[in-house]
Amino acid sequence: MAEHAIEMKDICKDFKVLNRHEGLKGSIRDLFSRDYKTVSAVKDISLTVERGEIIGYLGPNGAGKSTTIKMMTGVLEPTSGSITVNGRIPYKDRKANSENIGVVFGQRSQLWWSLPLIESFKLLRDIYMVPQKDYEDMIELYRSLVDIEPILHKPVRQMSLGQRTLSDILAAFLHDPAIVFLDEPTIGLDVSMKSKIRSLISGLNSEKNTTVILTTHDMGDVDALCKRIVIIDKGMKIYDNDIEHLKSYFGSYRTLKMRIGTDEWEEIVIDEKTTDIMDIIMKKQKEKKIRDIKIEEISTEEVIKKIYEGDAK
Amino acid sequence: MTKNKRCLSFYARIYRKILIQDLKSKMSYRADFIISTFGMVLTNIAGFMTFYILFRNFPSINGWDYYHMLFLYGFSLTALTPVQCLFDNNWNLRSMVYSGDFIKYCFRPINVFFYFISEVFDAKGLGQLAFGIGTLVYSWNRIGLPVTPLIILKLVACILTGSLFMIAIMNFAAATCFWIQGSGYVMVIMFRFKDYAKYPASIFSGIFKAVFTFVIPIAFVAYYPSLVILQPENIPLLSLLSPLLGILFFYLSYRFWMLGVRKYDFTGS
Repeated sequence: MAEHAIEMKDICKDFKVLNRHEGLKGSIRDLFSRDYKTVSAVKDISLTVERGEIIGYLGPNGAGKSTTIKMMTGVLEPTSGSITVNGRIPYKDRKANSENIGVVFGQRSQLWWSLPLIESFKLLRDIYMVPQKDYEDMIELYRSLVDIEPILHKPVRQMSLGQRTLSDILAAFLHDPAIVFLDEPTIGLDVSMKSKIRSLISGLNSEKNTTVILTTHDMGDVDALCKRIVIIDKGMKIYDNDIEHLKSYFGSYRTLKMRIGTDEWEEIVIDEKTTDIMDIIMKKQKEKKIRDIKIEEISTEEVIKKIYEGDAK
Repeated sequence: MTKNKRCLSFYARIYRKILIQDLKSKMSYRADFIISTFGMVLTNIAGFMTFYILFRNFPSINGWDYYHMLFLYGFSLTALTPVQCLFDNNWNLRSMVYSGDFIKYCFRPINVFFYFISEVFDAKGLGQLAFGIGTLVYSWNRIGLPVTPLIILKLVACILTGSLFMIAIMNFAAATCFWIQGSGYVMVIMFRFKDYAKYPASIFSGIFKAVFTFVIPIAFVAYYPSLVILQPENIPLLSLLSPLLGILFFYLSYRFWMLGVRKYDFTGS
């Protein structure tokens, strides 16, 4: 077993994109054109992930998250740089690499649509050659973590989105992989399902010491699961550290919440170094009557927003 | 950590399990199952009526009499069953590649082509199989062909050869979606060509015959392999070679399909 779960050094990934021309004439020209431009999706990313870590992998849409994950899973080959996953070079042997990883990609179910979940599990057991004993132990563990009885004999196509996501996560952990990639696992789910899924992920992580790479836009996921977060933007890594560290970085920021008139809360993020909270309140008070005030620490969500907007640099 | 190699018997076992499970779940939608099978039978009867009316009016076409034509018809129906039943998922390839859903096939430690194709089993084709075999048996009797284990073996081999050609054609057509946008038409057009499989290629003029033999080898779906049975005393070279060519052509189509997978850059999420 390799020392680190994932090790990436100076990884770059460029895509060649055809320069498309407009109109019918342009399309015909495109057919024969060799006029490519290079778009770099990932620039010089280095990253080391230890065994058993849950990493929040964040970044705005189009930042290069999916591209990095595709390189870790062996689907894409990096343009330059070195990458090992479980001590293996993923793109060199995609099949061998996939023995030891699990992947859940957003809302795209990877289970057999028409089969009851238990049959999908059995097929996966055969495909990954999981010994019967390990398989049964894993199902037992699932039972202890989440109520799987109602979905076990249900065909995937009849499941709700939440049940399907739950099933996909269970299926990704079934062969006890060293690393599981979860891409927006809680997207579109209701509050209770979200918390169910979060506790399932954290339970599986602590029982099996599985490394989890979690991509999400939901800061609730990050708060509930991740100690460490990695943020990338425009293909570059812009943050890699503890969440707590990040918050202290924005230590002088406060979220000021004011209830004006009806039940609506107005939120303002204020940096105490530059602005006096009292000034803001006074100003507002002159315009309208403030019914209630709360001053809170800055939330993870606000911190991430600040970073995306470039305030961290 | 090394695990035993996933060999052919492994894939056969997985495939059998998927088929059984899939068939079970299809049976549970009983009405759907019955109606679609019934629909397929009707389609076949309609196809047969056209055939019947046409050939009742021409006692012989280019030396092929009614029962030989019927034999070819049954042969083509049977040979076209596997592409219908087992390789139907090729029709979904294009939309999956464009939506990005195709990527899910790349995360398992098994062959991507196998994983993709094994996912769909279309039971409707079974009606066609029954109809094809029925037609074959009937015309076999009428022509007065002998029934020996050897000739049955030959027949099975020839039908499988025809199937390989049609499967390969559809693999090629489906895999074009990795390179070009309008690949839907390619598949539809190629699938239309299967209608020519039931005619003896000798009735086509030179250029068409050459196209159907060497470019889009639709003549290999039924015409060439069936000559092994129908003209045992005078088998053309292409007919003799057809099983080998079929395997080669299928292999090439598989490589082309896999090349598409490799080439395709899965961008976006």
